[in-house]
Amino acid sequence: MSGLGDILHLLVTANLWQATLAAAVLLLLPALGGVISERSGVVNIAMEGMMLTGAFFAVVADLAWHNVWLAVGVAVLAGALMALIHAVVSIQFRADQIVSGIAINIFAAGLTVFLVNRIYGLQDVGHVGQNEGIPYINVPGLDQIPFIGKVLFQQNVVVYIALVLLVLVHVVLFRTRLGLRIRAVGEHPQAADTAGINVYLIRYSAVISSGLLSGLAGAFLAIGVSNTFVPNMTDGRGYIALAAMIFGKWTPFGAFVACLIFGLGQAIYDNNSIIHISPYLLSMLPYLLTLIVLAGLVGRSTPPAADGLPYVPGSE
Amino acid sequence: MPLGSVLFAFVVGALIVGVTGANPFSAYASLICGGFGIACTQGENPALQISSTIVFLIPLITTGVAVALPFRAGLFNIGAEGQLLAGSMACTAIGIKFNTLPTPILLPMVLVGGMVAGALWAGVPGVLKATVGAHEVVTTIMLNYVAQWLLRYLIIGGPLQLGPGTSKSLPIGDGARLATILPASNSLIIFGLPSSVFRVHTGLLIALAAAAAFAFLLWRTSFGYEIRAVGQSQKAARYAGVSVRRTIIVTMLIAGAFSGLAGAVQIAGVDHNLTDKYFSDTTGFDAIAVALLGLGSAVGIVLASILFGALHSGGAIMQSDSGISGNLVLVLQALILFSIAANFVGQIRRLLPGFGKPAPLPPELPPAAGLMSGAAATPPEVT
Repeated sequence: MSGLGDILHLLVTANLWQATLAAAVLLLLPALGGVISERSGVVNIAMEGMMLTGAFFAVVADLAWHNVWLAVGVAVLAGALMALIHAVVSIQFRADQIVSGIAINIFAAGLTVFLVNRIYGLQDVGHVGQNEGIPYINVPGLDQIPFIGKVLFQQNVVVYIALVLLVLVHVVLFRTRLGLRIRAVGEHPQAADTAGINVYLIRYSAVISSGLLSGLAGAFLAIGVSNTFVPNMTDGRGYIALAAMIFGKWTPFGAFVACLIFGLGQAIYDNNSIIHISPYLLSMLPYLLTLIVLAGLVGRSTPPAADGLPYVPGSE
Repeated sequence: MPLGSVLFAFVVGALIVGVTGANPFSAYASLICGGFGIACTQGENPALQISSTIVFLIPLITTGVAVALPFRAGLFNIGAEGQLLAGSMACTAIGIKFNTLPTPILLPMVLVGGMVAGALWAGVPGVLKATVGAHEVVTTIMLNYVAQWLLRYLIIGGPLQLGPGTSKSLPIGDGARLATILPASNSLIIFGLPSSVFRVHTGLLIALAAAAAFAFLLWRTSFGYEIRAVGQSQKAARYAGVSVRRTIIVTMLIAGAFSGLAGAVQIAGVDHNLTDKYFSDTTGFDAIAVALLGLGSAVGIVLASILFGALHSGGAIMQSDSGISGNLVLVLQALILFSIAANFVGQIRRLLPGFGKPAPLPPELPPAAGLMSGAAATPPEVT
């Protein structure tokens, strides 16, 4: 049994890459949200909390109404609502955006467990029925392609949605007037304001988008990948998404590459029966890699110029 | 302003409790009982509740200082949690390895070991900030998770594991333990209970000393002046001959040492081994609220720690007495953070004419607000 040989063997299995893509999408959605929000100049470390809120409300809604799409909608709205709090506090009240982000994350962690207790008492939340989770769909024809078919076309619906969103966010940010406005607001809000762009509107929309995307990721986690809610089930994924955003230099595809790397780590972790390294040591990798990137060893990663600065109309 | 923020949080918290169909008054009554031992209805021992609150507030003071000090230099240390874990891991490792040494040697060893580990954990973000301008918020978040996974590794399958199938470490040697303030005796009855149930330990004195050291360092030493100068304006500090890089690195090292000390004291004074309880420890995040609510002053930090210690201690009683999840405490904490950061109280006063004088805008915070600006993107110039 050679460890290296086992890993190499694992790397050529389609199962591994199928799992990698699914794990990557779980990170990609909040990472895209982070990219949009920070490109507009609002620092967002609250994806963890928005995702957790989405996960919780997806399960609550699915258990109550037995309709998966309604549940996804509720989760997305719940994420957006948390984002709205972040937006009001940090845009309207010009609060420190990091403090607000931390507060969102603590708020979500506390509120979800508090509500579990209020709604379900001291028992478990309960499990979503087998046919009431977000479905996995094989794309007819394409799913028969050797290797690629399994990796790309035998996935959860959310995976397909996320890949479309990835392209969409990229195109909007870099190929449309709206994207130009978002980036202008994030780089130089005063100039953007002078040019007639509504800075507050752009920033509100961007932050709320990050909540929509994180809420969707939460729904995917709770009623797609899993079938119930457990306290703190996001387990740092929102923060890994933050890392992916930085790793990818605030671009959608850059973030996606980072998510794939982190997702591969997760997939190998889940297959750890043949890996002889402690899974816990392996789990450090995304964070250590991000530190290395931040240290400038793999090229500089620079945030948008006005990232984190509240905009005061009429200021210098 | 701090009292207003707390009031705001409790009012909104009461609304949340009320909306979900529970009685906020009974919830808060049991919270106060659990925190301060007053107005208890279920026969709780007041002294025991106060003792529990004190045990909770000890690490909050020390980590609160570890967040407040970098604030003064314009640095946001979100990594107190990781630094605390690093300190507790180092303390445990040393306390196990040299478990036969006597207290006068081993106790200083584990405490200093914890401080060094915490300082290293904070030193990395400090150096990265000072040299390549990597933002300390992000680097400290990453290191929090590295510490968490390292902890899991150490006590699940790693070298500190007690035995197969367990998720805790071996206990530290007797010489590495901090004494409790009351004698740990089962026969001595104090406040109607055996004195061994009162877990308040001499770490309280260490925490108070840390708060005093923080105040002394900040206001009575030239380095404290440099920290404040860098926090006010890096440019001005540089013209005044202060090495901004050195100040950033040393500030983070000291802050990490405080957090590491908090972790070491927690092991030496309370737990005596690492357990899976530390996976979900939130002291380092509570510390952010403590530092902000305490307005970055030593006295304020101690007072805010009393509040949060009481909330933690009260959360358990609230859960058992009135059936409200102790997690309401997290909700209250988040609301306090929102309120301080956004200066809701000041805003409300502004909207109500004749209700005190208009509050300033933007809110007066420790200089964290400006730190995502150019300082994040460009490393400090070499002087």
